[in-house]
Amino acid sequence: MAAVPGISKGGSVAEELAFARKASGLVRGLSMWDAFGVGFMNQGLTPSIWVMTSLGVGVYLGGNLIWATIISMILAGIGFPLVWGVLGGSMPRSGGEYIYNSRIIHPIVGIGESFGNAFVWIMWIYVLAPWTADPGMTMMAQFMGWQGLADFATNLWGMFAIATVANIMAFLFVVFGIKWFARIQKIVMLLGIGGCAVLLAAICFYNKADFVAGWNSIAQQYGSVDYAGFLKAANAEAGGAIPNTWNWFDTFGVMVAGSWLFAYSYCITFIAGEVKRPDKTIILSNLFAIIVPGVFMLWAAIGLYHMVAFNFFSATQFVDNAGSDLGGAYTVPWSTSFIGLLAMVNQNKILLFIAVMSFLAFNIWWIALSYLAFPRILFAWGMDRMGPKWFTDINPRFASPVKNHVLCFVLGQIMIAVYIFWQNEAMQGLAVTALEIFSVFGVTAIAALLFPYVKRSKGIWDASPYKTWKLLGIPVVTIGAIVDLIYLGILAYFFFFLPDPDKRLEGFTASTAILIAVLWIAGILWYFFWKQRSKRVGVDVSMTYGELPPE
Amino acid sequence: MIKLFFVTDIHGSNECYRKFLNALPIYGADVAVLLGDLTGKVLVPLVEKGNDTWECTLMGQHRDIATKEELADIKKITENAGYYWVHQTRDEFNETRGDPAKIDALFKSLVFARVQEWLDLADERLEGKPYQMYMAPGNDDWFVIDDMIDNAKLVHPCDKRVVQVDNHEMVTSSYSNPTPWQTPREMSEEDLETHLRGLVGQIKNQETAIYNFHVPPYGYSLDLCPKLDENLTMAADEKIHAGSLGAKRLIEENQPLLGLFGHIHESRGAQKAGRTLLINPGSEYSEGILKGVIVMLDKKKVKDYVFTSG
Repeated sequence: MAAVPGISKGGSVAEELAFARKASGLVRGLSMWDAFGVGFMNQGLTPSIWVMTSLGVGVYLGGNLIWATIISMILAGIGFPLVWGVLGGSMPRSGGEYIYNSRIIHPIVGIGESFGNAFVWIMWIYVLAPWTADPGMTMMAQFMGWQGLADFATNLWGMFAIATVANIMAFLFVVFGIKWFARIQKIVMLLGIGGCAVLLAAICFYNKADFVAGWNSIAQQYGSVDYAGFLKAANAEAGGAIPNTWNWFDTFGVMVAGSWLFAYSYCITFIAGEVKRPDKTIILSNLFAIIVPGVFMLWAAIGLYHMVAFNFFSATQFVDNAGSDLGGAYTVPWSTSFIGLLAMVNQNKILLFIAVMSFLAFNIWWIALSYLAFPRILFAWGMDRMGPKWFTDINPRFASPVKNHVLCFVLGQIMIAVYIFWQNEAMQGLAVTALEIFSVFGVTAIAALLFPYVKRSKGIWDASPYKTWKLLGIPVVTIGAIVDLIYLGILAYFFFFLPDPDKRLEGFTASTAILIAVLWIAGILWYFFWKQRSKRVGVDVSMTYGELPPE
Repeated sequence: MIKLFFVTDIHGSNECYRKFLNALPIYGADVAVLLGDLTGKVLVPLVEKGNDTWECTLMGQHRDIATKEELADIKKITENAGYYWVHQTRDEFNETRGDPAKIDALFKSLVFARVQEWLDLADERLEGKPYQMYMAPGNDDWFVIDDMIDNAKLVHPCDKRVVQVDNHEMVTSSYSNPTPWQTPREMSEEDLETHLRGLVGQIKNQETAIYNFHVPPYGYSLDLCPKLDENLTMAADEKIHAGSLGAKRLIEENQPLLGLFGHIHESRGAQKAGRTLLINPGSEYSEGILKGVIVMLDKKKVKDYVFTSG
């Protein structure tokens, strides 16, 4: 049954200057709030604040969290909503960037890039499910004083068990359909945001004097190094690199680590075919899913700088990121993560429980979002005859692609086992972020850049609601793509190509390059296999990528 | 083998209809089937403000129209989205607004004019071409539409009858089970089943038959739509089955070769019911996207199919 945009009821007079007759239907089900929820939850608020502080400031010791957040909000806030919002609103189909890249650039590029992204979503399962154990459950155990749980969560079999439970939970959250998913998402989002807000509000209660006093008291309680001693030891371990004030270079480095908080709302496009008013919903929900985490990060930064001196904060993040105990000098049973810093001044177990629950809620939901994306990528391939017919099977009871979900679960579980038991180092080295920056964000930004100009997608552009959106005569999607590419360029430089390899957030190794090449080649071979197979039965799959002339 | 191109529920969208006609040579279709709903549901009065300016409400947005170029653009957008437009003074608008009979009459005149325009365009485009085109209404379409299709030159009517498509008998029904909107062609489940049984009873060979029902069978993945509340607004996150139990029973009993359906725009997909392949190509007419499916039909089997989106 079909929707009448702007008119929700089948009555006689629905708007001031419009008439509607009694006729069936409404098309799209998900609201702006639901779409925002998907995008926002994929930014992973609490764990991403941890990544920005621990990985960001932990490596770039002179980074300023406030400026890094503001620059991220500007660059990502312009680039991502314009690229993903305009593409999603112009081609409102579920399936993500595969749709855009195959239509604008070429089906081969679409499928090659999409193969990489499908693998990325599986990678997130095997990276994030073990995070539920460590740092998630270990952090909880440390704060609550549950030594047994801490030992279990850091043991290989214990980690595998917890990761498996997380993987099963994520699978169950999504497999029963969008109704079940949306309801649980609201609860998880409430828990996650609420927990994070409580955590940040608590941080704001304390000033530097409170913190020094709290630190020294805890240090004395656990026989650990005191405030001054910690700073000295951390500085020595960092080679004397901990600065007293911030600098721009390190601030950009922190911004790069903060991309986890700003660059992932794009997964809204995986449900583009299911949202109401996609022309507005996708672009605005993308924007809000960047602004809201940005506001939280600013809150965190202001609170943390109010509570902890700049150089000491950098020292704690350096130690947390390095996983160091400063040669046995730091013996407090929890880490110096930003949540751990709160625990130095407030050991209220309910407060700390809520804070860690927020971390766990977002982390598990990240895994659930892999189950949202991966099956829909396969579904989109299937619809274009780029895969077996069962890729498009929708379970009539749950209204979801259950077979694709099961495949996702099996692949995820196998990879979790391989990751935990055998290939931890090697699989980390595969550099999931490299694959995303080059293969997903980069290619899609180029597609957006070219969108108004290429003949292949002229019909789609002509019908696009954004065709008239121009600034100084330049289509805003092109401007957005340029801003996005600048942002991605900065990410790529700091992640992989900095001259000092110790300062790179992820190395671009030979295995990374091989992985990207293998996935692209596999995707291209997949395309030709299915094209040939369809041709044998008289179907030309290229017709699914074309645009029909409207006149 | 024949290549059948099936499209449904374009709801008055000029853009989709023109794309449909253009698709036949591009996709190399032998047979094209356009099922209802054919007609749109929204009428946009372009209310004169004086000095060659107008105002209207389009897609929930109030629009002030300052130039004739803008006016032409608005008319085109309106038509492409499946809506109808009419010039009115403020007095005419207020008068129409208060009189449901006038709204109904205005709607009908515009709806019929567009259907006739489409049929004329098809006659022009199909002249001397090898492909056959079938057309039938859907539950939203008034009954006068049937006569208009019956009187078309090159568009073949197919509603409430069995037509021969190459080696296949194709039976079509435009009716649906009850909807919350009480549309022109609705029947109770019992009446609908009786109606459908009467139609499929005319088929000589079920094994190669095509069932062309506007309403999909109940309980498969092709009839899932958002649940509506008492105000007919939809739940964001709850889907229900809205298909016909009678259609389901007939398909499961008779096991035709192929079932082609529409009605539920959001349930684009394909599914097997025993040996029968069921397909709903879905619809995104208001975005000007022509959703369809091409089915490759051998004498006794469906060789393959591919969804299209153009």
